[in-house]
Amino acid sequence: MTKSIRKYALLLLMCMAPITVLALDSQELPDVKEGIVSIETKEPVRLVGYTVGDVIEREITLTIKAPYKLIDTSLPIPGYEKRYKGQLIGIELKSINHVKEESKNQTTHHIKLAYQVFTNNVVAKPASLGPEYLNLINTEDKDDLVKYRIPSLSIAISPIAIFGQVKIENNMSPFLGPLLISDHKEIQTLEISLVVLALSLTGLLYILGKRAWLPRMGRAFARTYRAVRKTENTEDGLKQAISALHQAFNTTAGMSVFNDNLSEFLHNHPDFHPIRPEIEEFFNLSRQVYFEPSFQPESKYGVNNDPHKWLINFTRHCRDCERGLIPEPMKAGA
Amino acid sequence: MSDAQLADWRNLALTLETEVNKVVVGQHTPIRLITTSIFARGHVLLEGDVGVGKTTLLRAFTRGIGGGYQRIEGTIDLMPNDLVYHTYLGEDGKPHVSPGPLLMSGENLSVFFFNEINRARPQVHSLLLRVMAERSLSAFNAEHYFPHMIVFADRNQVEKEETFEIPSAARDRFMMEIPIVVPADDDIMEALVFDTRFHNVDALVETIKADILQFDELNTFSGVLQNSIVASETLKKYALNLWKATKAPLDYGVKVSGVDMNRLVLSGASPRGMSMMLRAARVNAWLNNRSAVLPDDIHAVFHATIAHRLVFSPVYEMRRTEIAREMLTGIINAVSAP
Repeated sequence: MTKSIRKYALLLLMCMAPITVLALDSQELPDVKEGIVSIETKEPVRLVGYTVGDVIEREITLTIKAPYKLIDTSLPIPGYEKRYKGQLIGIELKSINHVKEESKNQTTHHIKLAYQVFTNNVVAKPASLGPEYLNLINTEDKDDLVKYRIPSLSIAISPIAIFGQVKIENNMSPFLGPLLISDHKEIQTLEISLVVLALSLTGLLYILGKRAWLPRMGRAFARTYRAVRKTENTEDGLKQAISALHQAFNTTAGMSVFNDNLSEFLHNHPDFHPIRPEIEEFFNLSRQVYFEPSFQPESKYGVNNDPHKWLINFTRHCRDCERGLIPEPMKAGA
Repeated sequence: MSDAQLADWRNLALTLETEVNKVVVGQHTPIRLITTSIFARGHVLLEGDVGVGKTTLLRAFTRGIGGGYQRIEGTIDLMPNDLVYHTYLGEDGKPHVSPGPLLMSGENLSVFFFNEINRARPQVHSLLLRVMAERSLSAFNAEHYFPHMIVFADRNQVEKEETFEIPSAARDRFMMEIPIVVPADDDIMEALVFDTRFHNVDALVETIKADILQFDELNTFSGVLQNSIVASETLKKYALNLWKATKAPLDYGVKVSGVDMNRLVLSGASPRGMSMMLRAARVNAWLNNRSAVLPDDIHAVFHATIAHRLVFSPVYEMRRTEIAREMLTGIINAVSAP
């Protein structure tokens, strides 16, 4: 070993010496007086079930009243392995985040400690985070060195897997909730089944409702209204429209409806009563078109002006009656 | 004939109806049907219980239309010659022959009423049917004509003993079978019993205005009437469908409760029957001041002109009246026009 190397080694030893002394001293220093330091901690929610690789965080807020101050070098050092009764417990301080807020009368330290688990066992075993010892110094009396103990946090290290035949009930921790089986698939199946059931019921209602999406829709006059609107305003179109309307009346009544049994139809289908005069006018129009061309019906609602247009309006009124609505009275000349 | 003349005759026909309705109360429908048959020149089969006013009804019509009225009672020992002549010993002790009911009024015979026709023998039916069809009769080496005659026959459907059912071919000669029933209205029933006006039939009939119509002009007018009232193509198709439905009601979805429809109808309406129905429908249209036949006109005469022509399986014959009514109503409800 050369002289210069020896010189550097001695210098390094001298630099480390105060730290070592301080570290050793911190255990032996007197505790800080009560009321000087107040602490708030934010602990992890879960205290059990940790295994190798897990990171556990603690947040500690210390408020130190003047004239005492924290000796920053007493803060825990990342990488330091924790020991319990001299034995390594397999928990290492992974990182520390320290933020200091100073004021005239006190200093607030926000310390965030992150521990990582490097141990495991075949059965659950207790472990603890901390305690951590911090050193304080009285700024008015440099010899007044005291220590403050951040309390430890007990946790449980759990095995990664259970070996052998295990009776779950005997190993259930009172801190653990019941073990849940994943019901995701069942819920998904239930949801799909409910959708299928809803669709089936909708389809059944559609079929039972005689292919009408809503009650009283898609009935005879609704279909006829669509058909009549498509007929042309010609003699043939007029005949088709009248014939379609007759069919609608027959379908609705369940029998052939003529002028001589119109009262019976209205008695059985009172929804059509409001348009009785229009129905009579329709039958007169039918009489003229199909049976007696020389017949000139008295037109109260303007059937003679434009029979085709009149028929479209009349069919709409019939459709409204079919749906249980009361149509607006047809105006003369409509 | 002009529309005005048609209207004049219609007014006369309606007057006749009104007059008859005054003396035979509660029988509007039969009276309208008889008026129709008079103008359609068709014979009528009356169906009804005893004492419901059939004779009064016919006498009232006869007084209104004029001409001769003859009546004969059907009995089991009635022979065809009883309709033609009577033989008797005169005061001179010699046999004499006098005209029977058919010949008594000669060509002026306008109404011949055969009461309880189903009590007469088939031989009598045979003679009567020839007279009905041809309106002529061979007797005493001469041909006798009854151009204005309409036969009204009554059959008692209640009693079956010592009766001869009229065969279907004979029934088909009648234009209509009209049911005469006791009116259901309490006031009318009370009047029929307590109103002394109805006790003396002769006096009652005398109250009717005589000779409202000219019976010997009815044939001519009937022809004119039939030519004046038109039937559209739609109506012809409708009538044709009705006819088909009488032959095969099941094809049109017609059912009668408690009846095997496959076995019910042996024969539907005949061509003659349908022709008579259209004649009657035209008259009904004219009476309602229409120039064309409507389905309503057919409905008005459908039961009366068709029901008695249907030939049912023998097992259903006992219920023919109700079955025929239900079946024909079903046909009207099932067949549509247009």
